[in-house]
Amino acid sequence: MKILGTPVLDYLPALGLALLTAAFLATSYSYSAQARAFPAPVAWVTLALIALDLISRTQTAVGDAIRRHLNPGAHAPEGSHPLGKHFAAALWLAVFAVVLVLIGVLYAVPLYMFASLRFQGRRSWFTSLWVSAVATGALWLLFAVVLRLELYPGYFFGGA
Amino acid sequence: MLHLWLSGIGGLLQARELMFLALGMAMGLFFGAIPGLGGATALALLTPLTYGLDPFTALALAGGVMGAVPMGGSITAILLNAPGSAPSAATCLDGHPLAQQGKAGLALGAAASANAIGGIIGTISVLAILPIAKELVLLFGPPELFLLAVLGLIVVATASRGKMLRGLIAGVFGLMISFIGYNDITGALRFTAGIAYLWDGVHLVPALIGLFAVAEMINLSVKGGSITKDAKAVAITSMTSGLLETFRHWRTVVRGSLIGTVVGAIPGVGGTVASFLSYSLTVQASKDPESFGKGNIEGVIAPEAAINAKDCSCLIPTLAFGIPGGVEMAVFMGLLVLHGLQPGPLMLIDHQLEIYGLIWALTGSCVLASFLGLFLARPLSKLTLIDSEILVPTVMAVALVGAWAVDRNIGNVIVTAIFGILGYLMIRFDYPRLTMVVALVLGAAAERNFHQTTMMSDGNLSIYLHRNVCLVLLIGIAALLIAPLFRGLKRAPAVVTAGLGK
Repeated sequence: MKILGTPVLDYLPALGLALLTAAFLATSYSYSAQARAFPAPVAWVTLALIALDLISRTQTAVGDAIRRHLNPGAHAPEGSHPLGKHFAAALWLAVFAVVLVLIGVLYAVPLYMFASLRFQGRRSWFTSLWVSAVATGALWLLFAVVLRLELYPGYFFGGA
Repeated sequence: MLHLWLSGIGGLLQARELMFLALGMAMGLFFGAIPGLGGATALALLTPLTYGLDPFTALALAGGVMGAVPMGGSITAILLNAPGSAPSAATCLDGHPLAQQGKAGLALGAAASANAIGGIIGTISVLAILPIAKELVLLFGPPELFLLAVLGLIVVATASRGKMLRGLIAGVFGLMISFIGYNDITGALRFTAGIAYLWDGVHLVPALIGLFAVAEMINLSVKGGSITKDAKAVAITSMTSGLLETFRHWRTVVRGSLIGTVVGAIPGVGGTVASFLSYSLTVQASKDPESFGKGNIEGVIAPEAAINAKDCSCLIPTLAFGIPGGVEMAVFMGLLVLHGLQPGPLMLIDHQLEIYGLIWALTGSCVLASFLGLFLARPLSKLTLIDSEILVPTVMAVALVGAWAVDRNIGNVIVTAIFGILGYLMIRFDYPRLTMVVALVLGAAAERNFHQTTMMSDGNLSIYLHRNVCLVLLIGIAALLIAPLFRGLKRAPAVVTAGLGK
């Protein structure tokens, strides 16, 4: 589906930013006049710039003019990779971060490394095991031995 | 002045500092050689590891990294046609054809000596300009500092290669993020959503690790594969001849170094412009322009001299005005902040020893890494064969654990992950990350100066029109905002034609 000659999906980044900025602006008005003296004008400017960005994405004369003057080098995302691949890459990171918080560095790192190599990278069991063991050992050496830090034990094991 | 230079050298010539300088050089060569990583990622990953170090040692480490990255990038550019960082792409144009002709050693030798000389010329220029900059910054009060932050954001946005609007959006969005937390002027706790971690605001270093190291890894993970498919054995001979070639073409070296120095001092322009500008001017000045692109040694010398000279002169806007010369410098500003060194006018007055130590570290690294790179050329080129499926989880693990290690706060891990995804979305949807970093670094200071100005003038905004430096800055801001309109008018016929073509 297209709006003003542009696929709806192309508007999503700017619309997402507009929503976040609107929420920020609404929140800023719950603070005192002095506390919002700088954040509120910045949020209004952000909304104005996002509106220009939205218009520049349309295939109209005004959109063309804004693109030509303010955004000639910007381009739409390349669609060579399936959407699932982007989600999967972000999901691996998110899951690793959560697991790190829950079970700590010494369990989360080898687990993530092994799972990523074995299931995302389709490496053999042996390769996945030794690479994750070596990487965890190197991290332990660097942080626990060289920098003398007590590695985070994880929320389940007494971490705060 | 001389005693400060000597104190800087003396501070650096301690066993501990030299060890960290060498470590930084090794890391710089390593990260510089791997396309997609580069100096910004190296600094983002190393910053948390410097937490326990004193500022001088941390700066020695950072100087080592920044000075060595260009040489690492040149090695893979010449041997594999895979530039480690964007500026080294200009070196590919003639460096790789030379390697294909069996003259890789000649090209590497020339790149090394051009790098070293470029670094030295860049240093001389910084040493000459810093005392003048120090006098200049004394003219700056809160109104000037506020306008300077605004100018910095706009300069970096306009330098975002045709993406000014999106650069500005990223910048103001970064400002909004910088407002999160307790505000020491108004005493208000803002935008924390009740999360205690956010009372101190979004921690800068974890955010930078996310925006650069993690975002690049997500990008690499999506693309998949290794960076280069085959590192065929390339004969690395005639290095000495290559080293001497630079002296034979001394005009090219001096021209490249001066271009690098000038471009580096302009915030946000970056090394790619410096290297390509130096390359194209060398082609224009040559009596044999047809030979470029086919393996002309001057095509290697010109960009290499510019890249390292730029790295030194980039320090001027970064340290004196808190406006980073490029992405690497933006991340470096995070390291400065972590060690209590707020980039900006006062830094030139309060932290001179650290600044001169950094300059010598950067220069030493430029020179030493250039020659160390010659010995490590072959193993470094093999790094590009590492599969992304091994590289990505390894760097991710170092990044997230490093983020935690900044101040042993597990909230940093979540911030790094969120900013990693945000950074990747910015790459994907073509929003420049540099302006966001500048805003994150300058946001709190900009707001403080805004409030102090308001108090000074009882809320009367005309104060900005009654001060000379403010007027100059306002004219600069207006000029930068208006300039794209004129450029757009010039481009109009081509765009219209392209549109009709559709």
